[in-house]
Amino acid sequence: MKITRRRTVLASAAALCATALALTGCTASTPKSTTATAAKFSTLTVMAPYLSTQAPPADNPVGTALDKVIGTKLDVTWVPNSSYGDKTNITLAGSDIPDVMVIQGKDSGFVSNAEAGAFWDLTDYLKDYPNLKTNEPAVQEASSVNGKVYGIFRARDVMRTSVMVRKDWLKKLGLAMPKTTADLLKVAKAFTDDDPDGDGKKDTYGVVIPKWPGGFATNSPYDAIETWYGAGNDWYKTGGKLEPSFTNPKWIDALSYEKKLVPYMNPDYATLDSVNWNQPFLTGKGGIIIDTYSRARQIDKLLAQQDPNTYQNMVQVTGNLVGPSGTMYALPTPGYSGFLAIPKSSVKTVSQLKGVLSILNKMNSKQAQIIMNNGLEGQNFTVKDGRAVAITSPDATNLQNIVASYAQLGTNVNGSKFYPPAQANAYDQQVYDAEQATMAADTKHAVYNPAAAFVSKTYTQEGATLDNIIVDARLKYISGQISLDQLKAAIQQWKTSGGSQVVSEINALYKKSKK
Amino acid sequence: MTTATRALTTVSTSRRRRRVKAERYRYNTRAGKVFDVFNVALLTAIGLIALFPFVFVLVRSFAPEAELESSSFFLWPKAFTFEAYNSIFSTPAFPRALITTILVTAFGTVIQLFLTVLMAYPLSKRGLPGRNIIMSGVVFAMVFSGGMIPTFLIVKDLGLLNNYLALILPLAIDPFSLIIIKNFFQNLPSELEEAARVDGASDFGVFWRVALPLSKPVLATFALFYAVAIWNDYMSPLLYLNDSSMWTLQMFLKQVTSASNLQSAQQDQPGYVAPSEGVKYAVVVVATIPVLIFYPFLQKHFAKGMLIGAVKG
Amino acid sequence: MSIQKLDTATESLLVHETGSLVRSPRPRRWLATLNRYKWFYLMLLPGVAYFAIFRYAPMGGAIIAFKNYVPFLGIFGSQWAGWQQFEQLFGGPDFARILSNTLILAALNLFICFPLTIVVALLLNELRLTVLKRSVQTLIYIPHFLAWTIVAALTYLLFAQGSGVLFNFFNGVFGTHVDFLTSPGWFRPLIILQSIWKSTGWGTIIYLAALAGVDPNQYEAAVIDGAGRWSRMWHVTLPAIRGTIVVMLILSMGSILNTGFEQIYLMTNSLNRGVADVFDTYVYFVGISQGSYSYATAVGLFKAIVGVILIGGANWIAKRLGQDGIF
Repeated sequence: MKITRRRTVLASAAALCATALALTGCTASTPKSTTATAAKFSTLTVMAPYLSTQAPPADNPVGTALDKVIGTKLDVTWVPNSSYGDKTNITLAGSDIPDVMVIQGKDSGFVSNAEAGAFWDLTDYLKDYPNLKTNEPAVQEASSVNGKVYGIFRARDVMRTSVMVRKDWLKKLGLAMPKTTADLLKVAKAFTDDDPDGDGKKDTYGVVIPKWPGGFATNSPYDAIETWYGAGNDWYKTGGKLEPSFTNPKWIDALSYEKKLVPYMNPDYATLDSVNWNQPFLTGKGGIIIDTYSRARQIDKLLAQQDPNTYQNMVQVTGNLVGPSGTMYALPTPGYSGFLAIPKSSVKTVSQLKGVLSILNKMNSKQAQIIMNNGLEGQNFTVKDGRAVAITSPDATNLQNIVASYAQLGTNVNGSKFYPPAQANAYDQQVYDAEQATMAADTKHAVYNPAAAFVSKTYTQEGATLDNIIVDARLKYISGQISLDQLKAAIQQWKTSGGSQVVSEINALYKKSKK
Repeated sequence: MTTATRALTTVSTSRRRRRVKAERYRYNTRAGKVFDVFNVALLTAIGLIALFPFVFVLVRSFAPEAELESSSFFLWPKAFTFEAYNSIFSTPAFPRALITTILVTAFGTVIQLFLTVLMAYPLSKRGLPGRNIIMSGVVFAMVFSGGMIPTFLIVKDLGLLNNYLALILPLAIDPFSLIIIKNFFQNLPSELEEAARVDGASDFGVFWRVALPLSKPVLATFALFYAVAIWNDYMSPLLYLNDSSMWTLQMFLKQVTSASNLQSAQQDQPGYVAPSEGVKYAVVVVATIPVLIFYPFLQKHFAKGMLIGAVKG
Repeated sequence: MSIQKLDTATESLLVHETGSLVRSPRPRRWLATLNRYKWFYLMLLPGVAYFAIFRYAPMGGAIIAFKNYVPFLGIFGSQWAGWQQFEQLFGGPDFARILSNTLILAALNLFICFPLTIVVALLLNELRLTVLKRSVQTLIYIPHFLAWTIVAALTYLLFAQGSGVLFNFFNGVFGTHVDFLTSPGWFRPLIILQSIWKSTGWGTIIYLAALAGVDPNQYEAAVIDGAGRWSRMWHVTLPAIRGTIVVMLILSMGSILNTGFEQIYLMTNSLNRGVADVFDTYVYFVGISQGSYSYATAVGLFKAIVGVILIGGANWIAKRLGQDGIF
């Protein structure tokens, strides 16, 4: 049931009350412009996705604790993640629009709504709020629509690309962990030809790659390899202009490499469902995966379930590899996963906007972050050595699932202030710390997408089909279905099907942004 | 006759009857027997092929996560576990969703079937003025719909949001079903109707007392179709029910499946706890079994010769 | 006035009107008509109201096919685009290929899946062991309930390169190197096999219901006339369900361009996309995934018009051949 909102615009007295409330919970949260223009909200309506099996019930302990910290009641409409896109559009088409909406990505549906005036342009407002002023301006820029920041982005790890290899196989064959793409090819070949599991049968292979469900430049293993080769990340700068990475000659080199890798990959690389990606690795068929650190951790966990005694010898993880040029080009993530947008239909005046922003500001305070990411201390976690140790009990697990949903509202735009999770044992902790170190090191060599902020009109309309041309051509080439000339012809087809228009639009926006 | 003798006689009589019938109907010719064997074998094979994937899913729903992750195919799990079902049943949302769905399906089927049949009967009267226009309208509505958002706006304007009627009314009459039922009514022998009219029945009386009872196989069929459609519908609850405590089984199950299917990047959300792999399969079993149980109850209405008694009687 | 041969329904109407089979002049005043058929119109009222409110009122929203619909701006606030969406559809470089893919799959569906459902229904009807008959009936309609994701997962299990059970069997026996899941030539056969498996059982329900209504006296009469089993099937059973078959055929014309998005999408990959792309998947890539409801509505409108034309055509042909159509 919808709770009727009562919103009142009060005089400075009310603003002072709000400040007082804020000071009780947070460290630094006084907005600079504490004038009479910030409206007070007793209830803030929010729409957010949830990823777990059920939505948090109304009046749950996590929500109540969070409400206390931010001084406002959060009325969250939880929507199943699998249907969030449709629900967003339905909501915008209707009249019952919440004050804050989680937007999962900068897709063209969102862009057209934003440019039609559905959401507030927050570019000039965020700097007034200490917790909303980001320490990653590049990511904020990337999350913007041609420079206009339509939402407070939800920060994610910037560097996730990693390579995981069967440690025991390396050991058996006397090989070192690959550091370059050449090493990778060598190891993959050895895993395929030299019987690393010692059973006398040629039943193993090197790299496991699934049928990639995304489009071009969506951090697939292929994208990683192509970035390592120096082709750029989706776009690259050349001669003062931006060009798509697949027009870079180094991209063709990367594809030749991928073609060489095919005999040492899983034979069903074109059809393996990404949901089953771990399986060949776990069953001892494939020995290398190029994906993210979270997959490495997932595999570790599953191996530990299979056999807690041996799993520590099974997986070795590293970050990005070095391509043939000798320079490390690391493939970053966009750095964010959607944002929190503020619809204009429900938040009508600047005064109300400032009210919402001040609440969101409090939601990004350390205390709020702890509640939304760790939970309730003593109830589902305890703190040891600055890390959060999960309590194992059915009640704690229930709380944990609720916390996971509230984490969807987290923005963390200037760093994570909550406790990092403690790992189960010393080995896991060591792996985790090593990961963090590699991540930090790789980030220094990250190749960011120079066109991340720009939204081309043609790409909005035809992007998916254009992407398919390239992605299909890539796979057909490395599988041998088409020749190099045909690959180049496909790239040409991309240009004539609307691609060259995309390039010119992107460059126009690029030029405008440089001024 | 003693009971024993009577029993023996009955048995041998029915066997004899069957044999006589078999001879008259020429089931016993060599060609007939060969065909029967072939038919039985073929249909049994088809039945097993149809069953196989469900067995596959059923078996995997009882397997522990580690085994599911490592083996793509097995006919019997190495370790038998209820963990997947537990995680579904222990969620407080589940029993509520289940009961809600059962109630909505039951009431919804009755309402929808009633509306459809009520409309189909007049349309089966060929001379009725205006019939052709309405039929054209129905056919066009079958192939074209305004779309998700316009329908949503209409439902919203009627004030049906967060109301269970929104799960029943927008799809109340399925044009396809309407047409088939109408055709069925068209083919009922008119002598029966005449007989009723002679007895002084009104148009509605003929419908209620003659046409309806004769249409049991059709009613049973479309009761099944409508019930299954409501049961499986997840779009309507998504669009019209904002209150998560009102949700139906399909919403719950779809979310459970997608929760265990997320790509690794999404799983990296801080604090995310994925449900076990087996849940995906348990979900299918839980969603399907109630409907599977429903069908055999309807099958008795598909028995032959429903019309016979009516004409003779 | 001659008494012409009338069909049963009109007969009953006339009997109702006049108490006899003699035709009399139709009442001219529509009020009188309303009164005469008042029960019928009353019965029609809820249904017509339903169609008006929930089917036809939303159709006004189809106007977004001629606009650039943005949910925030609403239907009326969105910018007019004229034929732009249709130009994008028909003028796109892939239209011919997608149309041909869709039509080929539709034809395969029509000529393989449709008759097969009838054949299975007839075979089931010939089973005399009630227990077996009921069990098989229940079993074969189970696949209808399994989501396409399960079907796709199983197809993968059976046919996957290297690990698929049937993949190894087939290539082992014939010594070939066929990759079923990626080879364009095998895409359509696999799709049809999946469709047969999933929808045949459910489809037999209608025919079995129709078969249940066949008058056993007719069988008796045929037996007395000396008809054998095949004869009976040809002269009694099939004609009895002929009406149902014709109606099902006509109705399926309406949705002929609907190939089922999920099934195709799950089986599509980079190597077979050339033959796999159909309207529904194409609309997904161009339309829905990018939030363009206008485009999706335009394609829906196109499909609906084709569907109506085909239904009308099939209905006319059926009537010419002496069958009841749906009008």
